Amino acid sequence: MSYRNLSIWKNIDKPLLVMYFLLTVIGYLIMYSSTYKGLNIEDIFWVSNYGKQLTWIIITFFLGFFILLLDGSFIKNTAYFTYGIVLLLLIIVLFMPPIKGARSWFYFNSFSIQPSEFIKLTLSLALAKLLSDVGSKFQDFKTKLKAFLLIIIPALLISIQPDPGTMLVFTCFVFVLYREGLSGNFLLIGFFTVLIAVVGIFLKASNSVFFIGETSISGNVFFGIILFVGFLFSFLIIRYFVLPRYRKQKIKRLIIISVLGLSISGGINYVYDSVFSERHRTRFQIMFGIKEDRKGAGYNIYQALSAVGSGESFGKGYLKGTLSNDKYKHVPEQNTDFIFCVLAEEWGFFGSILFISLYLSSLIRIIMIAERQRSKFTRIYGYCVSAILFFHFMINIAMVIGLAPVIGIPLPFFSKGGSAILSFGLMIFILLRLDSERKVVLR
Amino acid sequence: MDPFKNRQWVIILIIISVGIIFSLRLFYIQVINHDWSKRASQISSKSENIQPPRGFIYDRNNKLLVGAETVYDIYILPISIRENDTLKICELFNFSKSDLYEILDNSSNGFNVPYKPSVFIKSMTQFEHAKISPYLGQIPAIFAKSKIDRGYPHSIASHLLGYIRRIDDAQFKKTQASKDFFYTKNDFIGITGLEKQYELLLRGKRGNINYLKDYAGNNLETINKTPPEPGYSLKTTIDIELQVLGEKLMSNKIGSIVAIEPSSGEVLAMISAPNYDPSLLTGKFFSKQFKILKQNDSLKPLINRPVYNDKYRPGSIFKLVQALIALDDEVITPNTRFTCNKNIIGCHNHEPPSNLVKAIKNSCNPYFFQVYKRLIIKDNSKNTFQSSREGLRTWEKNIKTFGFGNTLGIDLPEEKSGFIPNVEFYDKWYGKKRWAFSTIYSNSIGEGEIGVSPIQMANLAAIIANRGFYYTPHVIKDIKDNNILKPFQEKHNTCVDEKYFDVIVSAMNEVVNNGTGKKAKIDSIEVCGKTGTVENKTFNDHSVFISFAPMNNPAIAIAVYVEYGTWGSKWAAPIASLMMERYIKGSLSEKSIKKANKISEAVILNQNTQF
Repeated sequence: MSYRNLSIWKNIDKPLLVMYFLLTVIGYLIMYSSTYKGLNIEDIFWVSNYGKQLTWIIITFFLGFFILLLDGSFIKNTAYFTYGIVLLLLIIVLFMPPIKGARSWFYFNSFSIQPSEFIKLTLSLALAKLLSDVGSKFQDFKTKLKAFLLIIIPALLISIQPDPGTMLVFTCFVFVLYREGLSGNFLLIGFFTVLIAVVGIFLKASNSVFFIGETSISGNVFFGIILFVGFLFSFLIIRYFVLPRYRKQKIKRLIIISVLGLSISGGINYVYDSVFSERHRTRFQIMFGIKEDRKGAGYNIYQALSAVGSGESFGKGYLKGTLSNDKYKHVPEQNTDFIFCVLAEEWGFFGSILFISLYLSSLIRIIMIAERQRSKFTRIYGYCVSAILFFHFMINIAMVIGLAPVIGIPLPFFSKGGSAILSFGLMIFILLRLDSERKVVLR
Repeated sequence: MDPFKNRQWVIILIIISVGIIFSLRLFYIQVINHDWSKRASQISSKSENIQPPRGFIYDRNNKLLVGAETVYDIYILPISIRENDTLKICELFNFSKSDLYEILDNSSNGFNVPYKPSVFIKSMTQFEHAKISPYLGQIPAIFAKSKIDRGYPHSIASHLLGYIRRIDDAQFKKTQASKDFFYTKNDFIGITGLEKQYELLLRGKRGNINYLKDYAGNNLETINKTPPEPGYSLKTTIDIELQVLGEKLMSNKIGSIVAIEPSSGEVLAMISAPNYDPSLLTGKFFSKQFKILKQNDSLKPLINRPVYNDKYRPGSIFKLVQALIALDDEVITPNTRFTCNKNIIGCHNHEPPSNLVKAIKNSCNPYFFQVYKRLIIKDNSKNTFQSSREGLRTWEKNIKTFGFGNTLGIDLPEEKSGFIPNVEFYDKWYGKKRWAFSTIYSNSIGEGEIGVSPIQMANLAAIIANRGFYYTPHVIKDIKDNNILKPFQEKHNTCVDEKYFDVIVSAMNEVVNNGTGKKAKIDSIEVCGKTGTVENKTFNDHSVFISFAPMNNPAIAIAVYVEYGTWGSKWAAPIASLMMERYIKGSLSEKSIKKANKISEAVILNQNTQF
């Protein structure tokens, strides 16, 4: 035990540690720039946004240090317990007074805690424990159901808050489950669902602008017909080119896919017309560039894209942003969800590329760490961490550069917010601790 | 061992492809496409023009003719109107609700957008602004910007100075088309007179300031600033005192006075009657006042008659030119004698015109009929039509050396050329070989088809005063730009030899001393002049007088034209006399002051003016 603790420095993964520090430092610098209004020494501590952020980072490092002293099996064995505690907090938080319309925060005098940030961490641990337990096989329906429940319960609680951004992150566990043996069809179905949904919504959104007339076929019906013809065509291919003994199985699959595809397409049609309000429809139209509404619903994204675009190749220089800076406030939420604007504006295209490379390399590094484990628990946990960070990164940046609709989701290590800084930091520290014990199998 | 180990590559591949997609997208937004960058500068920076103060205009003694007055434009920023503000605004400016809605509509449409301030009250005076200024601070949507408007300390010389007006769409497009990007839609531009002529000097050079602004449009930081260059102040040749007197004398009359310094061509005074107060055409009531002056006044006070009205027939003053050309052509001598035969052309009773001086002194019409006949029909052996053609051609050429029939080139944009009838004109009028001297003889006494502007008449006086040459009359005195002064320093000689002028000068002296122009006499100054009475069929004849003084080393040459003034000596001569006395002596004698008052009170008007 004591031997292990002494050798922690020897066994810790230095590349990930360095990347984590780099991301935290860059994140803090960007966060500082986003709230910068001219230097004021008194603001550095707790009072100001960047003072608070720094305090949270220090707290994270402090707790991270303690985590490095913990025992891997201790972490594994308390996984359900911590999961349960945070789940309890998620229930209690629903009775808190709402802030900006959402019951997501425990609000204390000068700071607030957001339990939904911590559930990502504890869920990862719990999921890893569930799937790594001796005797549980992922192929079993029972295990699948348990895993599903583990994920869906906090997701539902968060949807009550409501916090759709965080809820969306829970879909990232599909990657983890895929790695552990979930059929690849789910990924494909997910991919095609998104594809059909995007095309369907695009056709609906543009339809309301371009297509008018009673006799003309709406774009969506046209799309449905194309899908149907496609499936029919695939059926004929199977009928004539596939060996008879496989035919029955393939046709069965094809029918499932066809029904699914058409019902998604039809469902989009229904949801777009009946469930979405005009506000949502406008948002989609703006996202697809069908409508320009730079003063209303499209304001955020218009300002954000302007800020990103104005960075050009080499940026305006650190602290020299004129759109995303808090002083000018052209970009709303510039220190939380739209923080990437600051980096893109001040550091330009090359800075952004470096940032993306660093971020994604650290994700890949985490996967590499996960793959080298003897302990299944650590591997699954590592995948969870990578998947969570990847989803945050993907959704956040896609939103800022206009590839996805505006969804409130923080950029880990960058966005303002103590809970997120602490939660993501601890995620990494736990991984580093677990990894340092990679040569043994945790029990 | 682990059947799914290879799936890590699928996941890594997905991560990398997302990275590539994002990088390509960023490459497009940040490097290839510059639209977003342009939008960013529209969002974050603001460029404002700084209007330069317009140049002033001074008289020849550096007294201010046109200066500046601070006025206030009131702006409205529709986007920052709060709930209770509408009522406050209505109370403050005495608007009804619908007035305000109309204003808000106007400030949000067309060129205006609700998040940019636009003017809704133009050129409020300092006095009015003082009344509302305490309340402006309470309504953030409304603010005042001070501006310098034209101010006229003397309210004189309105025609000469001209006026400025907010640039209209047509002019704006014209300036843009000619690559002149000085103006904004809120700028003023000279429309007439000196304001138009020297617009490029007076307007100055625009400054510019670039701000960084925040999301609400507040200016936070100045990026850079180019200060404006104030407009150049003009020094003119006008003598304020003389101008004031002239305008006083011409009040309640129609016509003009032009006074020139013969030795330089500098215009000392230029009066167009009726005139108007130049300050009427400034400030927020511009359009209203302009409409009144332009449309509702049958006397056409906006016309600058001295240069624009070139349809005046000169009358008898033209006899001087005829005599000079005839002397130079040697068709007469100073001693040539004709009889005053009233059968050919009308005349009044006077002593027999036994020589040229007597003819001029009494303004004998038949005498000049004969003179003109000799000028036109030089060769009796030829067919009369043919010789008239040749004679008229030479005569036209000679006449034009006196500055008639063409613009003189004075630095006022309204100048018109006048008209000297020529062969082509009569050919068109009557047909070829259908006219001869007998058709055109009324030209001899300055009637007929001749058209002369008052500035040309004054220039004639200057030519005779100079004994044979003139400098182009001009209003600008000192200016840094030599190219502008150059044409005014060029000496123009007439076709007539200097030696022939003395007899004309002494004849003009006789006119004032003993002839038709006795009313132009000034104590202790030798005045030379010539009266003219221009026939007018509808009402009283017009009264014309040209003159210069002193006879030797003349200091001032003057032309006075009083429409419907009955005859030359009645109004024009005394007016010219008073002007010259004022200029040469520096003040008027008591007797003259009384005379001046009497003249200024006289009303000589006829609604059917020539224009």
